[in-house]
Amino acid sequence: MTAISQEAPVEGRTTQEDIEEAARKKERIVRWTARIAGYIIFMGIWEWASGAVLEENLLPGPIRVFETGVDLFERGKVFPAFGSSLWRISLGVFLSFMIGSVIGIITQNRWFAGFFRDAITIGLTSPGIIWVLITALVFGNVWFSPIIAIILTTFALVSVNVAEGIGSLPKDTIDMARAFKVSLVDRNRHIVIPHLAPYLFTGLRFSFSIGWKVAVLTEVFTAGSGIGFELRIAQVLFRQDEVLTWILLFFVFALFLEKVVLQAVEDKFFRWRKEIAST
Amino acid sequence: MTAVATTSPESGSSGSSSGTAIPPRRPENAVMRFLKSPTFARALFLPAVLVFWLISNKLIQDSWDFDSSVLATPREVWDFMLAEIAGDTVAPDNLYGTFGTSLRRLGIGFAISMVLGTAIGLGMGLSRAVNAFFHDWVMALLAMPALAWALFLSLIFGFDDKAPVLAVILAGIPFVIVNVREGVRSTPSELFDMSNAFGVPSNKRTRHVLLPSLYPFLFAAARYALSIGWKGLVITELFGGGDGAGWTVKFWYDAHQLHGVIGYSMFFVIFALVLENLVLEPISRRVFKWRPSLDSPEIVEEAMDDLHDLNDELNAKSGAGTI
Repeated sequence: MTAISQEAPVEGRTTQEDIEEAARKKERIVRWTARIAGYIIFMGIWEWASGAVLEENLLPGPIRVFETGVDLFERGKVFPAFGSSLWRISLGVFLSFMIGSVIGIITQNRWFAGFFRDAITIGLTSPGIIWVLITALVFGNVWFSPIIAIILTTFALVSVNVAEGIGSLPKDTIDMARAFKVSLVDRNRHIVIPHLAPYLFTGLRFSFSIGWKVAVLTEVFTAGSGIGFELRIAQVLFRQDEVLTWILLFFVFALFLEKVVLQAVEDKFFRWRKEIAST
Repeated sequence: MTAVATTSPESGSSGSSSGTAIPPRRPENAVMRFLKSPTFARALFLPAVLVFWLISNKLIQDSWDFDSSVLATPREVWDFMLAEIAGDTVAPDNLYGTFGTSLRRLGIGFAISMVLGTAIGLGMGLSRAVNAFFHDWVMALLAMPALAWALFLSLIFGFDDKAPVLAVILAGIPFVIVNVREGVRSTPSELFDMSNAFGVPSNKRTRHVLLPSLYPFLFAAARYALSIGWKGLVITELFGGGDGAGWTVKFWYDAHQLHGVIGYSMFFVIFALVLENLVLEPISRRVFKWRPSLDSPEIVEEAMDDLHDLNDELNAKSGAGTI
């Protein structure tokens, strides 16, 4: 604190803002130093471990992985693989979203709630690998077996969210709209859908983040193209560098879709809420 | 299977609608009322699945030109499960042996990830610098699919215990870290300051202030580390194991015996439900007996489940986009 008052003697006094500003600045420096140190140290350990702890072929370092990535891009293998994986993921997530929403809506009825209760419990608890293996055995290498696996692992997440959203609909507002004779279309357009949107988005995001992992896993077993297929080939040929490169490339890409693209869509959708959110 | 599922907690979807008993408006006969009751609908689910199973088996056999012996009937699955429970199997090891092997690995990995994760989480909660140091890497681990570890570790270590145990650690540890960090952050600082002012020794402070407020978070962490670690373990054994539950599923898969795969999958589901209802629930009830409300840890868990919100919050705090 004394250092600050010495630094700015012209004003003659140190305001509260100056102190806070200085503290914030110092904190930012510490944080960024620690963050960069984290990157350097972890990358350093990785690079050092490849060669020193394990053989370089078993654990390729970050530089080798980067080179392999560039090589894969140059050979033009990346985009076709991403394309076919993405196509499966988007179709699977879309269908699971639709089916999950329908189940979420009809479980508002007590009878259907009872009927689907165990289905949803099983859907939430069973690991994706189960459905992957079952669809792989039953359907084999056909275009829809990854899609069925995605639907079976993710539909329950969507229906739980949709049911949750419907359960918390603002009944008073709807009653008021009904009393004021707002038409059914307008009521849905201005009350129900805006209220449900956050729940729908949560469901979509969850099902995407699980869906892409399941899709890659199914491709490992039953596809002739896509990221999972390339991973399988690389593993069978004992090319650890390619295994790492494929998985990291796709990992970064999926996170980009999840955190940047879906987030942007969501922000656009919820622009009207910004003011409420900021207060 | 449904018999086990009946004891499961509310799945969240039907909680709002099934709880209240609405008195019938007009007198209906008892049969109609029974047919319309959710309990009947729930009981109907299993037969409906079986019927659907048999019909789709028939449809696939008729429309598809391949050897239908690949398909499994419910009867086969049932017989397979009974035989496995009786300890009679064609696979190299029976149900108890494979689950024993897997559980041993899960236990070792879980213990290591809890200890290491708690240490790192405490550090991250107490110091901003430590937090910044680990943050991006923990977030990356959090989103990493288990498949990545399975392929990577099985190539490195081959077919012994190392790869599965490491997979359990790597899959579970980020959840422990994140939970413990949140726990430290939510520790009531007033109580800490007060005990400081009254000169309470630091070991007592840790014992009576920090630990009780950490319990729910540690518990959520343990739950996550177990369930995510289990999934990671199964996938790793599938690709790089020589024994264990995951490997045995792969054994049946490679033998093209669908009833074996489905039967083993059912054992997995049953195992998860038993672990949740017979092990974790009683422990949680015991640990939180001192608290007035029992459902608070569940809320914590749900908050943890929403990793995206967590990330948003972290983004907002750090001011930088973390991919």
